[in-house]
Amino acid sequence: MTTIVALKCVDGVVLASDRRATKGGMIGSKDAKKIYPIDEKKAVAIAGQLSDANYLINLIKAEAKLISFDRGFPLTVKEVAKMLSNLQYSGMRSYAPYIAEMLVAGIDETGSQVFEADVSGAVTEEDYASSGSGSPMAYGVLEATYHVGISTKEGAEIAAKAVKSAMERDPGSGNGIQVLTITKDGSVLTDIGGVQQ
Amino acid sequence: MMPSRDGDYGRGYLMYTPDGRLLQVEYASEAVKYGSPVVAIRGKDFAVMVARTKEPDPLLDSVEKIHMIDENIGAAGAGFTGDIHLLIDQARVETQRHRLVFEEPMDVKSVVNHLGKFMYEFTRYGGVRPLGAALIVVGSDIVGKHLYTLDPRGLILSGKAMAIGRNSEDATEVLRADYKPDLTIKDAIDLAMKALSKAEESSSPVEVGIAYGTTFRKMGLEEANKFADAPQ
Repeated sequence: MTTIVALKCVDGVVLASDRRATKGGMIGSKDAKKIYPIDEKKAVAIAGQLSDANYLINLIKAEAKLISFDRGFPLTVKEVAKMLSNLQYSGMRSYAPYIAEMLVAGIDETGSQVFEADVSGAVTEEDYASSGSGSPMAYGVLEATYHVGISTKEGAEIAAKAVKSAMERDPGSGNGIQVLTITKDGSVLTDIGGVQQ
Repeated sequence: MMPSRDGDYGRGYLMYTPDGRLLQVEYASEAVKYGSPVVAIRGKDFAVMVARTKEPDPLLDSVEKIHMIDENIGAAGAGFTGDIHLLIDQARVETQRHRLVFEEPMDVKSVVNHLGKFMYEFTRYGGVRPLGAALIVVGSDIVGKHLYTLDPRGLILSGKAMAIGRNSEDATEVLRADYKPDLTIKDAIDLAMKALSKAEESSSPVEVGIAYGTTFRKMGLEEANKFADAPQ
């Protein structure tokens, strides 16, 4: 279930998600958190088994902190994506896969970047990406409206619109939208609709 | 067994003397002082190191002194050749391991941290011999250009101009007197050569390692001077 999107923009990145967690045919939670910061300049959006995704994210956050203490500068976005996908790959190869697809987005020395890491451990770099049961609808909006060179302000609008469209037609997605914008000045989390409002 | 000058602390097991020294580690540092010197200088957008290979012998092929670790990092050692090679191999394996995990070249500080930890471990156990080698590591990564030295204690130093090996104090004196922060590559090679010659009178061929752009390159002195005229 779920709809998540991530967009690369000129001045940063935007991640967005719906807030619904499902338990079989029932809504398990109406304010699920699906976007997790790794550090000040990087975040991961998750789709799939919440427990698996949380485990991976906690591991990566700890690892990222240790590495940056050791070498004196933070992980790059690609390094975060590669570390996640390595775990997913070894999971798949040992017949105990982590049932989670993740969008890794953030900014580093090389600029803003978006990566998609799937259950098999494959990583691809994208300008924009979506995952979860609502992704076909979200992609419809992204294909029609995303273009290279957009600002995070435009990106945030497009991302919210993509998730909103998915929520209209995908029973697995709903209960409001959360948008995280990361620029070099920091990150801003915005809630649109949902149980809190 | 005849008791040695320092009682039995200097032999066999690695133990503190009553005044808190580790003699085996100090002896290893002595061994480094017999190694042929290496001098390195870090500038604004580059880092260079110079060292002489062994006296040329018509019967022997030349032995390399500066070693490539990865595309972006190089190192040269002073001390026991076998110990130096063990360290070089450790660094090479670690940089490739990093590439396997991240698909990116390893940063210089992480390589040096790994080597420092590796050397330090030999000062903590009895029945092993601390490595009789010091290393100068020069490289380039996304942070910038780097110059590090490592000694048998596992001590890591980062700096602008450093020397290891025989008479390294004399070389350091030259560096201290003439180092300027705005050196060009040409200036740096000349200064490093001056310092190297102060430490060791020799006519053996010179190897130069240059970290510039995203790579580390190894070359002869003539080629290095040509490179310094038009760096690319």
